[in-house]
Amino acid sequence: MPAAGPPRRSKIRSPLLWLPVLPFFLFGLFMELVPIATVVVSSLQDAGGQLTLANFSRALSPALRASFGNSIRLSLITAGLGVALGTVAGAAIMNARSSFFRGAATALADVATNFGGAPLAFAFIVTLGSTGIVTLLLSKLFGIALYPGFRVYSIAGLVLAYLYFQVPLMILLVQPSLRGLRREWREAALNLGATGRQYWLRIALPILTPSLVGGFLLLFANSYGAYATAWTLTGPDINLVTIRIAALIRGEVQLEPGTADAMATISLLIMAACVVGYLWTSRRSQRWKQ
Amino acid sequence: MKRSAWWRGCAIGLFLLYMLVPLAATFLFSFATRWDRSIFPEGLTLNWWHAVVARRAFGMTMSNSLVVSLTAMVLSVLLVTPTAYWTHLRLPKAKPLVELFTILPFGVPGVILALSLIRCYARLGAVIVYSPGMLVAACMVIGLPFMYRPVVNALNAADVRTLTEAAHSLGAGWVATMTRVIAPAIMPGIVSGAVLVFSTVFVEFTLANLLVGARFKTFPIYLVEFTRFDGRQASALAVISFLFAWAASLAVLWVMGRADREREGAVGAR
Repeated sequence: MPAAGPPRRSKIRSPLLWLPVLPFFLFGLFMELVPIATVVVSSLQDAGGQLTLANFSRALSPALRASFGNSIRLSLITAGLGVALGTVAGAAIMNARSSFFRGAATALADVATNFGGAPLAFAFIVTLGSTGIVTLLLSKLFGIALYPGFRVYSIAGLVLAYLYFQVPLMILLVQPSLRGLRREWREAALNLGATGRQYWLRIALPILTPSLVGGFLLLFANSYGAYATAWTLTGPDINLVTIRIAALIRGEVQLEPGTADAMATISLLIMAACVVGYLWTSRRSQRWKQ
Repeated sequence: MKRSAWWRGCAIGLFLLYMLVPLAATFLFSFATRWDRSIFPEGLTLNWWHAVVARRAFGMTMSNSLVVSLTAMVLSVLLVTPTAYWTHLRLPKAKPLVELFTILPFGVPGVILALSLIRCYARLGAVIVYSPGMLVAACMVIGLPFMYRPVVNALNAADVRTLTEAAHSLGAGWVATMTRVIAPAIMPGIVSGAVLVFSTVFVEFTLANLLVGARFKTFPIYLVEFTRFDGRQASALAVISFLFAWAASLAVLWVMGRADREREGAVGAR
């Protein structure tokens, strides 16, 4: 460390050195750690404060177990499709010739990850609802009747709406790794007689794998925790974990609060696994970028 | 080569279609008179926009949302910037803990954050838990990752250690160093973080709905109410919401792009 500058105050001892970051840590403590710990601890207690697993057995009763199943299935589908479509679209955008277009498409992806929520859900009702504009165009122009076979106010509709922010998010996540694929590697492979397909399957994909897995985990968490889009599009009847917990908070359903705590705790474990997995894979994908 | 250009065109075309059609549809819908029998709208009108903007609730929810987002934005800047600077320069061992607090919100969905706050602070009374102040604080939690990342990136890029030492050796005190040397040097990071926090909080529905609900109606709550009974006016509100998101994102991209160019310019001049 360079011994520069006369007012060297590195002599200040630890306690005072922590003073400037105290507000931040107090905020984190009282807005994050303590509240979350409260929920986790009380999920393990009954009304009298005794240690019990009864909350969890209620949270995993058939009706609520179905909500976990739906949330996980919805997240697997939108994360899987998001990774696949986002990677293909990301690669297409990266390889586009016009640099203006590359910038504009990336900006579009950047904006779209911030959409979501109520306005997005409503845009999908306008587009694909029973009297939606695309629904109308398909039936008038091509004679294709979307309804009643398809309903936008359903899990299928949620998949379409979630992809609107999942695909752009994946494009942003995968772009650094795509940029890390060097042109020479492709040329070397082609010179050695590989086809384009072989290059992608045998060289590019294995290098991209850590960032694809990481992207999948982040997209999964993103979808699992989503609430506003689902609530606006499908209303309170859809059986998803976040909708159920919100109904318990608002007191729409008479159930012991411990059940909400247990559902939240299970969800936090799922989310924690995703975030830790993501951090681990992102460290691995760094290796190719020096 | 030809085939790869073909799939590239297809992929980009489909992507753009998927991204732009819902936006265009919502936009057109907010100007259409009747549009459920024919391919094109039967006429165009500004009625829905007039009706929606004229309501008192529009101004009220808009100003509520602006108050919440601006407060959360300013407080986030004041909370995160000094912390990031101090841990970067003087207290590197606190960094992992700071990063933990800024990553944690990614793993805590809005619904669960609201539940945790309600369960934890219910005993303080409904006046405190279900208050706009609590909403601002909760929104700041959601905004932490968006605020912290750009500031840290700016700190890494600006070589603040040398700047701080130079300022000190020229006789500047801590306050002058912070406000006149460090803050301008990392301003692009601060601005992008602030804008991201603003735009995230402005569209935040989950926390607003569960923590304050009808007691302090924000713009997204107002929008969702409208989707239930008047689609035309709801589409006008949705367009306003999209415009906010666009403006905020473009502002961030512009600030970051300018900072990059300036940095390149500085390197070139050296």
